[in-house]
Amino acid sequence: MTYHPPHITRLAAESEGAPDAELTVAPKSPRDVASVLHHATEKGLKVQVWGGGTRSGYGSPPPPDIVMSMERLGEIESWVPGDLTLVVGAGARIADIESKLVGENQTAVLPEVPGRSTVGGAISAGASALRRGRLYGTRERILETTIVTGDGRIVRSGGRVVKNVTGYDLPKLSAGAFGSLGVVVSVCLKLWPLPPAGATVTVDGPDQASSVARPLAILEENDSTRVFLWGTDEDVSAMSGRLGGDSADGLDWPADPSGPYLWSVRVPPALTSQAIGQLPNGWRYLAIHGVGDIRAASDDGEGVSDLRAWAESVGGHLVVVKAPTDSLDGFDPWGSPPAGLDLQRRLIAEFDPARIINPGRLPGGI
Amino acid sequence: MTLLSDLRQTLGNENVLEEPLELYIYSKDASLMRGEATFVVFPQSAEHVAAVVQIAGRHGMPIVARGAGTGLTAGASPTEGGIVLATTALNSIEIDSDNRTAWVGAGVINLDLSKTAAPFGLHFAPDPSSQSACTIGGNVANNSGGAHTLSEGSTTSHVLGLEVVFADGEIVVLGGQAPDAPGLDVKGLVVGSEGTLGIVTRALVRLLPIEPDVRTLLLDFPTVEAAVTTVSEIIAAGMIPAALELMDQRMTIAVENWLHAGLPVDAAAVLLAEVVGEREGVDSQASQIGEIGRANGAGDVQIAKTEEHRALLWKGRKSAFGAMAQLAPDYYLHDAVVPRTKLVEIMRTIYEIADRYELTLLNVFHAGDGNLHPLIAFDASEPGVADRVHKAGEEIVAACLKVGGALSGEHGIGLEKRDLMRMAFTEIDLDAQARLKEVFDPTGLFNPRKVLPDGSRCFDFGGVRREVPEGAWI
Ligand SMILES: Cc1cc2nc3c(=O)[nH]c(=O)nc-3n(C[C@H](O)[C@H](O)[C@H](O)COP(=O)(O)OP(=O)(O)OC[C@H]3O[C@@H](n4cnc5c(N)ncnc54)[C@H](O)[C@@H]3O)c2cc1C
Repeated sequence: MTYHPPHITRLAAESEGAPDAELTVAPKSPRDVASVLHHATEKGLKVQVWGGGTRSGYGSPPPPDIVMSMERLGEIESWVPGDLTLVVGAGARIADIESKLVGENQTAVLPEVPGRSTVGGAISAGASALRRGRLYGTRERILETTIVTGDGRIVRSGGRVVKNVTGYDLPKLSAGAFGSLGVVVSVCLKLWPLPPAGATVTVDGPDQASSVARPLAILEENDSTRVFLWGTDEDVSAMSGRLGGDSADGLDWPADPSGPYLWSVRVPPALTSQAIGQLPNGWRYLAIHGVGDIRAASDDGEGVSDLRAWAESVGGHLVVVKAPTDSLDGFDPWGSPPAGLDLQRRLIAEFDPARIINPGRLPGGI
Repeated sequence: MTLLSDLRQTLGNENVLEEPLELYIYSKDASLMRGEATFVVFPQSAEHVAAVVQIAGRHGMPIVARGAGTGLTAGASPTEGGIVLATTALNSIEIDSDNRTAWVGAGVINLDLSKTAAPFGLHFAPDPSSQSACTIGGNVANNSGGAHTLSEGSTTSHVLGLEVVFADGEIVVLGGQAPDAPGLDVKGLVVGSEGTLGIVTRALVRLLPIEPDVRTLLLDFPTVEAAVTTVSEIIAAGMIPAALELMDQRMTIAVENWLHAGLPVDAAAVLLAEVVGEREGVDSQASQIGEIGRANGAGDVQIAKTEEHRALLWKGRKSAFGAMAQLAPDYYLHDAVVPRTKLVEIMRTIYEIADRYELTLLNVFHAGDGNLHPLIAFDASEPGVADRVHKAGEEIVAACLKVGGALSGEHGIGLEKRDLMRMAFTEIDLDAQARLKEVFDPTGLFNPRKVLPDGSRCFDFGGVRREVPEGAWI
């Protein structure tokens, strides 16, 4: 057993669903996070940051020494509806945040069916809303971040305004970084107003949606294709009229498919239908047309090598989102290493020199 | 071999300038600060750029990338000397209409991209007022915004991939058409880095469909407050118009004297609003905006009836900088951002600062996102005026930061605002940014002394056990 000093052990906590580790802590402030990380860096202990646990299957991380639960860092620090900004602790549950925002007809445009997932978790895993084709991904919502680096520095970057080019864009770099530059402790998000009307229209196929210039989303699942519309009442009824098909009031967002194996297929937008055709038999999927983001689930790993080979041949990716331990022997969770991997390594080394935060999650085993 | 012969041999004599007059032309951007170019080069390909980077590295000579030189913060001014690398010849455009993307050479002019995309029913969303001159490379480097940033975001939201030459002279392609490239979003870091991390040779950009319909409105208000309140209420009503641009009376008069566009010169503030989308939606949004405006005291609500009328309304807005020329030979502007709910308060403060320094100040700005452009018109040949202009500018920035704002919304930091970075960030924050720069450019080859103030890299943590500055943690 490693010796943990009292200022660390006083942060010990139980966290529902979190993986086993020698020590589980739930810091209450950025300073707490800094002291845990500083301690871990000194002792070379691996830290797994735990949000809602909904996206903890990426990469091939070694077992953690310390689990850091973000549940006590989920307060709203400020929310000014008129400024379209929300400053919130990374541990806040997306569902809680969105249900508050809706009271002022606003949204943070984070994943629509978030389960237990947290703001910091969605950012770190680079998870985006189904509305991303029209309103862009989670990355574009991040205006400011406060991160705690592996060696315990508390670094703020960006700003609390909707438009800002002051200094290097570190906030957006935290999207999809799995905390490798630092644990995201709080963020300022750009909010969006909810227009008065919305409708979900079932169509025969994605091509039928071409009569609408910029729908909120075109989503295809195994047994249906639906177009999501929003705007003024006049807008929505005109668009749904033009689409034909069954129209229902409101936006009825589907959940990502579930199963023992979860995959993310990412292809150039125009190849979305073709990618669906490439999925092995029996896979369940939710595809965002116009984006090339296909979320899929399966009961086994049959056929994934072929699927990856095809995806990479068209400039795309097949990423393992979750798989049972040791089930995909020799199958890299991310696929071919991205360009500039060495640069990524050197960047991370400046922020997490002992590489203790979520090691092994990123491509190349970083 | 000398630097000059190396460059000539690689690029050809015709692509290297060395005459004093030529160098003089390339030693300044649209800001007030001039540098001194050692040579100017015109690479014809990414391979040429890579070769120039290697040559410069060997000779220890800095490189300053230059697009059109419309930058407003001395970003492209070679203030430390060095090779000015002009991207003019990197001018290819390859449109992929199925995927709604384009690979665009860094030297392509912003408006030319949208013009080339138009036959496909597509356009490039970032539309700086300088779009008929500025380049995609400059837009990427400065993460430029425009009138339509409110609804579609700045340049960064439209850059899917980059071809970049880094300090080791390697050409690297980052990102791509597929979403969410695995790993750190290095391209996202290069966007907005003002030529300090590498040279962008091509960008893969997102193109958006041209909206089926558009309504452009011009509303005049008896007070600036009324105009600003209207902006807030439009957004509170669930609308994000494509643009919400505001001009104060002094600016409106200046533009009208220049353009004769029939602008309402008696109004204290003029608001230009544009909504886009399906026809049914734009009509209802336009009438709603008109109602909100009238409820706040708007006198006249013009809705552009023809495309020519719309173009004229926009020309008024986009000519604001040009109109300044007839007021005074020089202008100086900041582009700080404030939370929108602080606009009324900050406008009062800004006028008060200008009056105190006895300066002529006009306002034209992106009201929807709180991005101010207080313009000070002056004559630099008047003794002592430059000093007053700078002091007033600094006070304006400080006031914006005090109400929770940011130093720059779209023009960037460059050299001009570099030292003001300390007002916005702590030493630890700046140190983190300086580390980023060091990782990309350990020898300081690219655009030295821009963006970060000298001495930003003040802590060397290196190993973890070193002494830690007070307050850094725990
Ligand atoms: C009248 C006027 C109106 C303007 N309106 C707006 C506006 O509405 N919104 C806005 O955001 N800006 C505006 N600007 C500022 C300016 O036009 C933008 O910043 C523009 O993007 C600069 O493009 P450029 O090609 O002129 O770049 P330059 O001025 O040549 O360079 C700008 C910076 O980019 C770097 N750079 C250029 N090319 C590359 C490359 N290929 N690789 C790496 N670095 C590179 C340069 O080193 C420099 O740091 C305005 C300027 C003027 C004069």
